Amino acid sequence: MASTIVTFELGDREVEVMVKPMTTLQSVLRNQLGQTAVKEGCRQGGCGSCTVLVDGEPMLSCLLPVEDVAGQRITTLESITPTEGLHPIQQAFLDNYAFQCGYCTPGMVMISKALLDHDPVPSADDIGQALTGNICRCTGYRPIVRAIQVAGDAMRDSVGEQAR
Amino acid sequence: MTVTSYFLPRSLPEALDLMEQHGPALLVMAGGTIAMPLINEGLSLPDAVMGLRRAGLDGIERTDDTLRIGATATLTQLLDQADVPILREAARNTASWSIRNMATVGGNLFTPPPGGDVAVALLALDASVTLACATGERVIPLVDFSTGFLTNQLAADELLVEIQVPITSEPTAYIKFGRKHANTPAVVTVAVRLEWNEERVADARIALGAVAPHPIRARQAERLLVGTSLDRGAIAGAAAAAAQECEPFTDGIATDWYRRRMAGLIVSRALEQLAQGAAEAGR
Repeated sequence: MASTIVTFELGDREVEVMVKPMTTLQSVLRNQLGQTAVKEGCRQGGCGSCTVLVDGEPMLSCLLPVEDVAGQRITTLESITPTEGLHPIQQAFLDNYAFQCGYCTPGMVMISKALLDHDPVPSADDIGQALTGNICRCTGYRPIVRAIQVAGDAMRDSVGEQAR
Repeated sequence: MTVTSYFLPRSLPEALDLMEQHGPALLVMAGGTIAMPLINEGLSLPDAVMGLRRAGLDGIERTDDTLRIGATATLTQLLDQADVPILREAARNTASWSIRNMATVGGNLFTPPPGGDVAVALLALDASVTLACATGERVIPLVDFSTGFLTNQLAADELLVEIQVPITSEPTAYIKFGRKHANTPAVVTVAVRLEWNEERVADARIALGAVAPHPIRARQAERLLVGTSLDRGAIAGAAAAAAQECEPFTDGIATDWYRRRMAGLIVSRALEQLAQGAAEAGR
């Protein structure tokens, strides 16, 4: 079968790519669309470093043929990073030393975003549950859990300010 | 060598047509959490693949006393099923959030051990499965579906399209024992369902995962429980029988010796949970 054209939403824009059959979303994002925050860790679904949101739900881009997400909205770390400054989750990771090598960070930030979108006030246990598929070999996770709690607070405060 | 054709049928008839056209060479993939790692690694080199994500087989509905689960319903969708508590428990204890968003209930029935944790719960629940082909469909009990390691009853042109679970109020227990608290392959997974007649066990289902080439029923252990009041002696006897009748294997998670020991222990824990529940219910 020849290459096909697949269109989907990346952040707030529509993108169109030409792909060989069953090219992974991970490969398309990294190699065709420059979204190199989508990391290539294990390509086995075991590490979480390629986590992206598909219509707001976390999935692993290494296990998704891009054809499967045609017409859907994909959110990567690049999608949520503002032109200037940082997203509150990124800022909280920075402030709380929630990374050392940084390889897991994009996936960690994306799973954190999914969690905080579902539950703005997650318990430490909820956070632990959410992170079970995202491996970090540097931090021991505690700074990451703290960063997510801080980010949740910051995001609620900014919503509160906008409401006032 | 790369995949030359990837099909995404939009309906069941379209999927069945593709299967008829391509025969057994067509690799059928649902959530992709088993097939994609093999393809990414070059361990599986299929020429043609059919993805089921758009085939409309992901519905879950309750009709009378049956929960009808579309084969490609995700494990995340199972978390919402309050009617069958051990299915939720099984889904909650399987893999990670992102994987549960992709992995399917039907796919779990094809997952090699030590995977297949949801299948273990379905076995204890006396689930049945619908197998469809272009000319019709048949329903078989799940307990007859698997025939060995990665082998099953499916004919080359058949597709597993639905899982039916009888909804009952009988007491159930589910314990997955792994090396970590979460996102871990099982050392052993145990699901139990009991039927009571007054103070006696009238019928029992004990399903075991990760201790045989596919999820199995511990029939000897089940027989030993019937007619007992689920006292300590009965529990010990059933646990010993379950440990005897499993066919454990050694892998990177556990040795066959350890799996057998833990199969007995976890069966006794599950039965103790149910005995406790029965005591509280005044049996």
